[in-house]
This record gives sequence, C-alpha cells and structure tokens, in this order.
Amino acid sequence: MSNETVIEAVDDGNRRNFLIKLTSVVGGAGVAATCVPFVASMNPSTDVLAKAETEVDLTGITPGGIRTVAWQGKPVFILHRTAEQIDSVKTVGNALDPEPDEKRVQHPEWLVVIGVCTHMGCVPNKEGLGWICHCHGSQYDDSGRVTRGPAPKNLEVPPYYFAADNKIIIGKTA
Amino acid sequence: MRTLMNTLWKAVLLGCFSLPVWANEAVLEKVAIETDVKSIERGAEALMGACHSCHSMKYLHYRDLVSYGMDKQKVETWRGDQPLDGAILAQMGESDAMASFGKVPPDLSLMAKARDGGANYLYSYLLGYYLKADGMAGNHLYPETKMPDVLNVSGTTDAAQHAEIAGQARDIVSFLAWVSDPHEAERIRLGYYVIAYLLVLTTLLYLLKNQIWSRLK
Amino acid sequence: MPGRIIEWIDQRFPLTSFVKHDLTGYPTPRNLSYWWNFGFLAGFVLVLQVATGIFLAMHYKADIAQSFDSIQHIMRDVNYGWLLRYMHATGASAFFFVIFVHMARTLYYGSYRAPRELMWWTGQGLLLLLMATAFMGYLLPWGQMSFWGATVITNLFRATPFIGDQVVIWLRGDYTVGDATLTRFFSLHYLFPFIIFAAVGIHLVALHTVKSSNPSGINLADKDNIPFHPYFTIKDLYGLGIFLIVYSVFVFFMPDSLIEPANNIPANPMQTPNHIVPEWYFLPFYAILRSVPNLVGGVLAMGLSVMIFAFMPFLDRSRIPGGAHFRPIFKIQFYLFLVDMFILGYVGYVPPTPQTIVIGQIATLCYFGSFFLIPFVSKAEERWLMQRGLPPEITALIEKEAHDKEARKKTPLRRKGDIA
Repeated sequence: MSNETVIEAVDDGNRRNFLIKLTSVVGGAGVAATCVPFVASMNPSTDVLAKAETEVDLTGITPGGIRTVAWQGKPVFILHRTAEQIDSVKTVGNALDPEPDEKRVQHPEWLVVIGVCTHMGCVPNKEGLGWICHCHGSQYDDSGRVTRGPAPKNLEVPPYYFAADNKIIIGKTA
Repeated sequence: MRTLMNTLWKAVLLGCFSLPVWANEAVLEKVAIETDVKSIERGAEALMGACHSCHSMKYLHYRDLVSYGMDKQKVETWRGDQPLDGAILAQMGESDAMASFGKVPPDLSLMAKARDGGANYLYSYLLGYYLKADGMAGNHLYPETKMPDVLNVSGTTDAAQHAEIAGQARDIVSFLAWVSDPHEAERIRLGYYVIAYLLVLTTLLYLLKNQIWSRLK
Repeated sequence: MPGRIIEWIDQRFPLTSFVKHDLTGYPTPRNLSYWWNFGFLAGFVLVLQVATGIFLAMHYKADIAQSFDSIQHIMRDVNYGWLLRYMHATGASAFFFVIFVHMARTLYYGSYRAPRELMWWTGQGLLLLLMATAFMGYLLPWGQMSFWGATVITNLFRATPFIGDQVVIWLRGDYTVGDATLTRFFSLHYLFPFIIFAAVGIHLVALHTVKSSNPSGINLADKDNIPFHPYFTIKDLYGLGIFLIVYSVFVFFMPDSLIEPANNIPANPMQTPNHIVPEWYFLPFYAILRSVPNLVGGVLAMGLSVMIFAFMPFLDRSRIPGGAHFRPIFKIQFYLFLVDMFILGYVGYVPPTPQTIVIGQIATLCYFGSFFLIPFVSKAEERWLMQRGLPPEITALIEKEAHDKEARKKTPLRRKGDIA
C-alpha cells in the first residue's frame, strides 16, 4: 500500500470516528434534555408550592398559650412564652444537643418549632414546662430542646419571619 | 404516470389540511391578540370590570395572576374577599345567576379553546351585539344567548366609540386566550430550540448515514 | 473486565449470540427504502406513549368529579405537565399515522403474502389493540367529545344478538357511561400497551423467521443482505430525526389542532354537542358505520371494514411476487383505495347531509368492492402479465415457488433435534 492510501484510510477512519462521536454527543445531549421534563414533573406542582407558606395570626394566643398550625403537612407549635418559661430555658440546656435559646427564637416570647419528635416522628404533647413524646419517652424543654432521649436532636425551627408584630409567615425567612 | 400520482397526492393532502376551513360556516372577524404581560394585564382589568361579576375562571387562581407578573395591588382589588390562593370565582352566586338568567354563566377558563374559531369567535361574539326591532340586544353569532351586551356594542353609532369598544374586546380576548393556555409563550419558545436542535441532529444523522452507507460498493 | 462479565453471562444465557444473530448482525435486504422505517417508528412512538402516559398517570385522577380538573391541574400546575399532555395527545395521532403508512407499505409491496401471513395477522391484532387503547384513552379527559364518543361507540354493542343490551351495561358498568366506565377504561388503558409490547415481540419473532421483504418483491440472494447494524440502525435513527421534527412542530406549535374544541368543555350527560366526531384516525370506519342505515348492519360493516384486511393473503391470488412493483393494475387499485379512504374520512368528519350520505355509501361500496374484486382481478392481471411477458427472474421465481409448494406437501415438517 502506498503512503497516500494509508493516510487516506487513516483520515477516513478519523473522520468517520469524529462524526460518530459528534453525533453521539449531540444525540446524547438530546436524550438527557428529554429526561428533564419527565423528572421535573415529579417535583411539587405550583399549587403545592403555594402551600409552602402559612400565615399565622398571633392575636388570641395568650401568654402561656400554645397553638398548633399545619405547615407543609406538618404540625408547628407556636408557644407564647411567659417570663417564667423564658427564664427556665436561659441555661444552655442538657448536653444532648446544646443550643442557646436566643439562637432558636426571633422574639423571646414566641417559640416556633416543628412539632415532630426527632426520634421517630411522633407529635409530642405539651406537659407543664416543655413537651413529652409519648411514643418512646423523649422530653423537650420550653425552647424545644431535647432534655431526655431517645431523641437525638432538638425540635427543628422552621424558617419564619414576622410580617407584623402579631403575624408570622412560616415557610421562609424575611 | 408518476407526476400524475404526485399531483394527486398533493391535491389530496391540501384538501385534508383545508378541511377545518371548509367545516366552518360562519365568517368571523379576525383579531390580532396580544401576548405581552402588560396587554394581558389590561385585558384582565377589562374582564374583571365587565365579566367577573357573572363569570368564573375556576382553573385560575388569583396568585397565578401575581406570579405571571400582574400588579399585586390590582389583583388585591379584583379578588375582593375571595382568598388569594383561591380560584377566581364569579362575584354573583350560582343561585342568583339561575334566577336572573335561567342558567349559570359558563366558566371562562377554557372558553378561547372551547369554541370553533377560538379567539376570533370570542371577539366576533363580543362585538356581535345589535339592537333588535323590539329594542332588546341580540347577538349575530349566538342568537339564543342570555348574556347581556356588556360592552354596549349595540348602543354605539359613533365610529370612535366603536373603535374603543373593539379595543376593549381585543384586550379581553387576549386575556382569555392567555387564561386558556398560560404556558403558550414558554411552549413556543421551547419549540424553537427543539426544532433547531432536531435540525442539527438530523443533519448529523444524515451525514453519518451517507458515510456509513458509502462503505458498500 | 466487561469482556469477562459477558463471557460469564454467555455461558448461562444466549446474550452475545442473540445480539449478533437478531440485532446487529441480522441480515437485511440492502435495497430497503425509507418506507421500511415505519415499523421502527411505530415501536418508538409506543415507548413515547408509555413514558408520557406513566408520568401523566402520576397526576391524573380517574373519577368523573375530578378527571377534567386533574387534566387542567396537569396543564397549568404540574411542571411541564402541559408538555407531557400535548406529547401524549399528539403521540396518539402520530401512532396511527405511522401505523397507516406501515400498513400501506405492506399492502403496496405485497409483504402480507406467503410466507408472511402471520406477520400480517399479528399486525392486524396490534391494530385492534391500538384502536381499543386509543378509544379508551380518549374517554379519560372526560370532555364533551370524550363522553359522547364513548356513549355512541359503547351503544354499538347493542348489535350483539340476544344479549345486546346486557353487553352494553356490562361494558359500561352502569346504565350510562359513568364513573364505573371511566375507572375501568383507565385501568385497561394502562394495561393494553403492555399487551401491545408482548404482541410486538411476537410480531418481531415472526419477522425474524421470514425476514423482511423488499421493494423489488423478489427474495434477494444472500449476498444482497447486509447486517442491520450499522446500516439500518443509522437509517432508522435518521428517519427518527425527520419524524421528530414533524412531531415537534405539532407538539410545540399546533398542539390544539388535534384536540376537538368541544373536548375543552366538561362532559354533560344532559346535552349532546352539535357535532359528534371521533378522532381523525377513526373517521373512515365511522363513515362506513353511518353509511348503513341499520344498527346491526352498520356495526357489521364497520367491524368487517377493519377485519377484512386480514383476508388479503387469501384474496390476492396472483402468483406474481412482490406487490405493485410488477403489477400495474394492482398499483392502480391501491391508489384508488387510498383515495377512497380519504373520501370516507371526509364523509366521517362533516355533519351528514343527503349528498354526503350518498357519497359515503358509494365510497363504502368501493371500499368493500376493492377487496372483493381482488381475487378475480389479481388472477386476470396475472394471466395478462404472463402473456405480455415477464422478466426472466420473475418467471423463474414463480416456477420455483410452485415447485417448493409441491415439495413441502410431500415431506413432513421435521427439525433437527426433534424427538418425535
């Protein structure tokens, strides 16, 4: 075989390979892009996302009183804390999940926590100072911090902000 | 023989595609609907004034108007005491509507699609009112209608006034077209990209096909 | 490493041999034209419909109080729901378009003739399954046309002798098309495509036994076959590209062109729309149904109009191989048949007037006439063509086929490895 034919064969092979590779890449990109609407359709639809925020009017919750509202399908405890309750949580809390109370509230009189036990997901009951979860005995203080296990973590604080003095929007920070 | 077959084919295909035209009887006034946010908002305003008292658009929520880009204040005034998260319901209750008209005014969410002629039909319908001999308003397109002449088409003789009413009708119909297909703009935009991509890919496939087949003697 | 895994599998499962024998290395006539792309396209549209259908079913509610609303939910609120819905609706029309072209190719080129009868009949079965699936799917949006179309068509089962009325009630699960009907149609609409998958498998097994025909109509010598991969894989992909462009034009720029306006109105059992019209792919058969003024007669005519295709291998008695390629009269018959289908489609679409009814009846007679005439015309044509003189390969092939037929009658069918 002469040099020319060898080069031609190699060139042709290269060109062939290049076209196959290019077409495969372009085609593959198309296939990947086609998957996007299918996967995206499984994400929450706009009407579900609209429920992602819940507005709560705080008037009517007396000091010491507690209201439970639904947010994204979960219960949220809104506790209007008395001075006594605020005092009781001034210490850093039990070693299980230490966190200062100031970090968990925006205004000290209002505690907003998701009412789902961090152990297995039951809803704890308000008992005196704090909550007790009757499923496995976990206990939380009036800052929602876990004081007795088997729960490992404090009650979760959802994102929320004060739209007015007596109105909070749960679902996002301001 | 070949060319005869070809022309026959083309004639048949042409015939099929013009079927929808043949199947329609009424000649409708064409309207150039607007598709930008501002015009559609203007249409929403006109509709809320002229139509919302009797007609619902239950597949649309007030919050959808806000997320589309309409002025939140305006939406607040339109919704009255209906919730923002709620569907756009008619101001008049169903029993009152039955008492006044004998039937519940139809929901408008899909009206631009539910009639042959779509937006052109709605436009022609709104402008199709005329004064009958007995002094009542009748409609050329839909004589049995119980709907009153809300834009007061039958009462205008002045050309300038009529033009203004036609403008209102155009805005309302543009809004209704958006309500029946809120994703149209996105769909068309995406369509251009998809067709462009497919043209590129098909060209590559064509070149590759030729290249592979050239291996055969 | 991948080689070792494949070796391990090959010792336990015919993976490589299957791929080589039936996929990549599968011998295919080199002269197949683009009319042979449509089988692959049909398979592709099937996958497309199942994919879009499954994701739509994640949001659809099969309950008469919720179905119409759930579809609006899909169109407005679900991310890309509008796209899934339009793809699925357009896909149904695309499916029938592809299948009709696929059938037309088979008729024109005589690919239904021996030994490909089973291919034709499995195809016939697939067509029936597809029609049932499409019919049931059309009820699901619960629009005016959905409801009334289902009412009219389920009413036809009253033609069943003696138990007609009970059959209709059994089918609907109720005295009228209602919630029971909708729920069961949804269940079956989800099921049937998987039966179609299985039937496609059988269709392909039959294909791989008799191999593809080709535009010349003559069985090519083995040397004229080429491996399916890469020649026809790339050709199918290219055809797919063209198809997707047309499909996407519909989906993105005119998706509502295929949706009847009346179906944007929720079903109202108290009010029939002025003009009940099935989807375009049912129009010719609908026209035939309406051409016969008697209920039972109309149903029989419509049923026969779909089933009569199955008789083609018997009706066509010409020994000239292939299809229209060497048979000018058959070719004219074919084109006239197509024109007749279009006329019937038109008659099915427009509201009936005295003129269109007559046109429909004539077209129906022509439709059945073309089938009933085939046995006589095909034989007469064969005699004429033999007289006129055929290319030597054809005469040789006819003689060989006659000889093979005699030989098959003498020796029983036995395969290597048979015990009995």
